[in-house]
Amino acid sequence: MSDRILEKLEILADAAKYDASCASGSAGKRSAGKNDKGIGSLTGGSGICHSFTPDGRCVSLLKILMTNFCIYDCHYCINRKSSNVQRARFTVEEVVNLTLSFYKRNYIEGLFLSSGIIQTPDYTMESMVRIAKSLRVDQGFKGYIHLKTIPNASPELQEQAGIYADRLSINVELPTQVGLEKFAPEKSLSNITDAMDHLKGKITEAKESKTLSGKRAPRFAPGGQSTQMIVGADGADDKTILKSSFGLYAKQKLKRIYYSAFSPIPDASKILPLKPAPLVREHRLYQADWLFRFYEFQPEEILQGTNDGMLDLTMDPKLAWALRNRDVFPIDLNKADKSMLLRVPGLGVTTVKKILSLRRYTKLTWEDLVKLHVPLNRVKAFVMVNNWSPPPALLEADRLAQNLTPPEQMELFA
Amino acid sequence: MTVTVSITSIPGFAEWRNEARKLLAAQVPPQDIAWNNEGDVQSNLFTDSLKLAAKGNIPNVPRKFMELAETAICHSNPKRFALLYKILWRLLFENKNLLYLTTDNDMMELQHMVKAVRHDAYKITAFLRFREIQHAGEEYFVAWYKPEHYTLERVTHFFQTRFKNMRWSILMPYRAAHWDLQNLHMEDNPNPDLYPREDKVEEYWLGYYANIFNPARPKKGAMLNQMPKKYWQNMPETKLIPNMLRTAHERTRDMIEKANRSK
Ligand code: SF4
Repeated sequence: MSDRILEKLEILADAAKYDASCASGSAGKRSAGKNDKGIGSLTGGSGICHSFTPDGRCVSLLKILMTNFCIYDCHYCINRKSSNVQRARFTVEEVVNLTLSFYKRNYIEGLFLSSGIIQTPDYTMESMVRIAKSLRVDQGFKGYIHLKTIPNASPELQEQAGIYADRLSINVELPTQVGLEKFAPEKSLSNITDAMDHLKGKITEAKESKTLSGKRAPRFAPGGQSTQMIVGADGADDKTILKSSFGLYAKQKLKRIYYSAFSPIPDASKILPLKPAPLVREHRLYQADWLFRFYEFQPEEILQGTNDGMLDLTMDPKLAWALRNRDVFPIDLNKADKSMLLRVPGLGVTTVKKILSLRRYTKLTWEDLVKLHVPLNRVKAFVMVNNWSPPPALLEADRLAQNLTPPEQMELFA
Repeated sequence: MTVTVSITSIPGFAEWRNEARKLLAAQVPPQDIAWNNEGDVQSNLFTDSLKLAAKGNIPNVPRKFMELAETAICHSNPKRFALLYKILWRLLFENKNLLYLTTDNDMMELQHMVKAVRHDAYKITAFLRFREIQHAGEEYFVAWYKPEHYTLERVTHFFQTRFKNMRWSILMPYRAAHWDLQNLHMEDNPNPDLYPREDKVEEYWLGYYANIFNPARPKKGAMLNQMPKKYWQNMPETKLIPNMLRTAHERTRDMIEKANRSK
């Protein structure tokens, strides 16, 4: 490798960092077979974090752009054609070599490749597919590959991408057509969702043919699709963002949606806000997203909590729900079913699992809660156990909300 | 009467299991045993349990216990042998559901050890770094890593699977594992100087690491939470961190000022 490659790597890593998704998703297990010359494995769960950056993010993949040249002009993007950043472009071999060299040193789980658009969407997509194919076929690479597909590229190329990649993603970026028209004039929401629909069809097809006929269909993006939305660059409120998320999870069967609070970029477009969106807003959106995906909340229950379309910045959406629905509490931890346990502020998914397993053998007491490291102050108004039931006044108190909110907030702003 | 039992191997699972079997057969209760391991054995290297007479059959031991024991035994705490025997005793003669009583004090201690060992092993798979050398005209990869517990045995499978077609050695203070594409060879107390001083790709990795950081969002606490300083010695990129943090604020300010000027 050479100085020139190092310089390109610096430019093209920098250009990719504004994309929020970092962890590799789960795409099942995989490793090189007995007589296979290849390298790499997938361990099952979500990928290993091989390092952390000083901004607290997990480094799991070599996340780069193939090139940051672009013929489009999306305002929020540092690579748009009118920006005067330094440009670079990797060859297919260079990306393959870097990925393998990093992988062999145990720096990464695999490659996350996206790209600016050069010449045409198809031309760009085709080069990206060549990289994935070379890794998989020529090098026998069994690690993780995530390709960010180009929405306007042909369905055939999207399909090719799915054969070699573990996960595909197309960024929605902005949840409304109006937002896209203003900030990403060459993109259209319907093109993006159409492409997602098409891939969804392929992914389910590959999965179902495996189970129905017993024959293994060729792998097709077993890790599914994900996307990203930028928060706070256009006028979209939380309600709009979440509605479009819930729709994408339900209709396009997305695996994961990332929210990225708009943060100022070098050489920003003039129509962008100057100030970053508050990180706590991004955090609340993730919490609302989790309530939907892991806590068995219905979309309406979460959206009800918005005020003028916005989530409460001062408390997490689960606590907000509990305060609006005080009449369902206190909940008996020895009897209530899982979905109710999940609604108790302060009880996370893991703790709920522990409670469910423990209570089969013993009646839970206050001491058990202490030993399970349950945040007692947070839960005490909402739960009953063998030797504890909250005095009614505790739950009714107007000050309950104030008592429960401040500590978390401090951390968030620190 | 106190029975003294010495475990001489590291981490000592097979040995502990044999001793525990004999002790159970002789019905020796936990409070009557003094467990020694290599570090604290002094004059009497013999094991009393050799002289024990079997008094009865050993009840069946649940598999779940053996799995927990095999993990916990890798913990560096010398108390592990005694704790495991005590739990085994209680499980067999006091409460067959003991393993599910996650808030029992002994069980909490065991879970704590198991968790620490798993965590330590996971961090090896994450933070270990290979450096490449040329050996007989072939690529050869060497890593040096200091785990907190005796966890090399728990990660060899991971590296053998992932890097099956690569020749490599993992050196740890207490032991090394060498893989020659076919066999795994273990060696006690390897020479740490075998770890190469440099690697031709490391510079690219540092270049990459430095450029994926968004200076507008430093979160030192979040980083340290996942990657405490005790791991830094294993990871070349961490030497960049102090400077990245120091200049973050300034870089963000420059960026915003530039943007303001151009409006
Ligand atoms: S198409 Fe992609 S790379 Fe090009 S300007 Fe838009 S967001 Fe940026």
